[in-house]
Amino acid sequence: MFEHLLNGFAVALLPLNLLIALAGCLVGTLIGVLPGLGPTATLAMLIPLVFSMPPATALILLTSVYYGSMYGGSTTSILVNIPGESASVITTIDGHKMAMQGRAGPALAIAAIGSFIAGTFSVLMLTFVGAPIARYALLFGPAEFFALMVFGLCTVASLTGTNVTKSIISTCLGLMIATVGIDLVSGAARFTFGNPFLQDGVDFVVVAIGMFALTEVVITAREVHAGTRAQIVKAGRVWISWSEFVYSLPAILRGTVFGFVIGMLPGAGATLSTFIAYNLEKRVCKNPERLGTGDIRGVANPESANNAASGASLVPLLTLGLPGGGATAVMLGALMMLDITPGPLMFEKHGAIVWTLIASMYVGNTLLLLLNWPLVNVFARVMRIPAKYLMPTVLVISTIGVWSLSYSAVDLVLTGAAGLLGYYMRVHKYPVEPLILGLILGGRLEQAYRQALIISKGSNMIFFEKPIALVLLICAVLFLFLPTLLKKSQQFRAVQESASAG
Amino acid sequence: MDIASRGSLRTRIEGLVILLVSLGYLWETFNIPDFYQLPDTPGPKTFPELLGIVFAAMGLWLLVSPRDLMARLRARSAPAAGTAPAAPAAADDHAAPTGGLFARLGLDWHFVALWAVVLGYLWFMPDVGFPVATFVLLVLFTMLLGEMRWHVVLGLSLAVTAVVFFGFKYGLNVRLPWGVLEPLVN
Repeated sequence: MFEHLLNGFAVALLPLNLLIALAGCLVGTLIGVLPGLGPTATLAMLIPLVFSMPPATALILLTSVYYGSMYGGSTTSILVNIPGESASVITTIDGHKMAMQGRAGPALAIAAIGSFIAGTFSVLMLTFVGAPIARYALLFGPAEFFALMVFGLCTVASLTGTNVTKSIISTCLGLMIATVGIDLVSGAARFTFGNPFLQDGVDFVVVAIGMFALTEVVITAREVHAGTRAQIVKAGRVWISWSEFVYSLPAILRGTVFGFVIGMLPGAGATLSTFIAYNLEKRVCKNPERLGTGDIRGVANPESANNAASGASLVPLLTLGLPGGGATAVMLGALMMLDITPGPLMFEKHGAIVWTLIASMYVGNTLLLLLNWPLVNVFARVMRIPAKYLMPTVLVISTIGVWSLSYSAVDLVLTGAAGLLGYYMRVHKYPVEPLILGLILGGRLEQAYRQALIISKGSNMIFFEKPIALVLLICAVLFLFLPTLLKKSQQFRAVQESASAG
Repeated sequence: MDIASRGSLRTRIEGLVILLVSLGYLWETFNIPDFYQLPDTPGPKTFPELLGIVFAAMGLWLLVSPRDLMARLRARSAPAAGTAPAAPAAADDHAAPTGGLFARLGLDWHFVALWAVVLGYLWFMPDVGFPVATFVLLVLFTMLLGEMRWHVVLGLSLAVTAVVFFGFKYGLNVRLPWGVLEPLVN
């Protein structure tokens, strides 16, 4: 394993890849600090750029952008009180209060330190548990994989929205869009309405850019028009004292461990992990009454949990091919476009790429700490660019992203339609992530379903006769009812609502 | 019509639309020719049939959802009982703006103009060409966002169009169309 990892470092530390990682971290953080534009929209916009790159370099770019935008998200939570994405919602509770008390600097510094510790821990864990999980998953047949994907879709559906029915509708819609095009097994044209452009199916990038980037532009434009954009607090000197660091360290360590364990769960891992880690912190820490009033542990803990969960979400993505949320779903789509299908065989078939990716994550984490600490005030200035100049430019670059896929006017029309639908869904609380995940997983889900039915000669009982498949399907159903049980917690409800609003 | 009733009506319309879409989807599924179907193996219809049925069931649920009916009943009974209005309980999913039909649908001129500019850009860009379409989009969008100083609007739009066009076309080799400017270039 260490030999593989060293080989990974040899590739990750090549000057070109190092430069790409640095550029990815910078671009990710820069876009991540723009209020509203989270990791998912950032990754969706950048995907067309990675086509021409070698797979390892493309992966390094995507992960560094992902990590960078997660860092950027915490900066907006603290300084603007707008979480970059749902996982940063908890950070706003103490983080923005600290900023309002004139302590934005320590809040940003502890977010960077906590994220670095948690990120490094999660990459270490990925190094050790990734390959064994992948080996275990090799025992899975089509029925188990079908059940696993249903489980993944159900966890995302149950944890990303406020209403399970709406989440299921969103998931189904994604799966239905995935069935458009030529059926690869029989050659039948399905739902193409005679349009040759639809025969290749609907590209997920087209829908993702429409639903994330386009709607974000319009929603921001509405906020600018209505004058509801939030105030930005100036950061000042980004530094913390030794005593503050020691005071925060237990919170960082607890957040890291809980974040990683919960983050491995396919679904809204990062969001749920910050919520659970923060609640546990309240129960086990000294002076819990200080949390929520601008306590530095209230930033250290969720930020560590958030970053540990982000790293952990790559475990099911790489070993099982199951993304944990919107951003990892977009990464999965990008990997599939590069002809790399994550799953149990990923470590065997594309071992060199996986170990390069893991090595580049170590490098990325270090680069982010080195970059973010001195440059946080520079990044914060990006937030001051008026949205009236920035948003039209984001729209133009998103359009180029779609156009460059296949130079098709139909793709642009579909992006517009996806944007309209995405806007309606976001305004009326239909979660968008399950749709994207359904669209990306749809093809593989159908393939596994049909293979399982071929084995069982058409009997659906195969899903109940295989123990692993049965357990996964039972867990999937249980997860659908989880929000009903968790609704008793006001904080969880707040997180869910922010998730659906964001 | 009270807020909860209006929200409930919207939910039911959504349910109806979802039901109709699922029926159309199932209709298209059944129209896939049978010769693609091999004996004793799941064919191209199997998975879409399953999806269509689940989607239709969800649409039907929204159409007749008892949770909605409960919200309506609460909204009706609360004012009658002289207690606080039930709107907050139902506000989550059922809030609807007041005013004329346009406003009730959540529409106003700014909203319609924003979408018209965005969709118009996506529709016309391939034919009109990237430089002209992008310049017009930037001018209109920036003005819709409240920038009314002509020299700023025109200067910024021209600069962004030029940087993005030449950067992507010649820097990253993205084939962006010249469109109506093609004769000038040639």
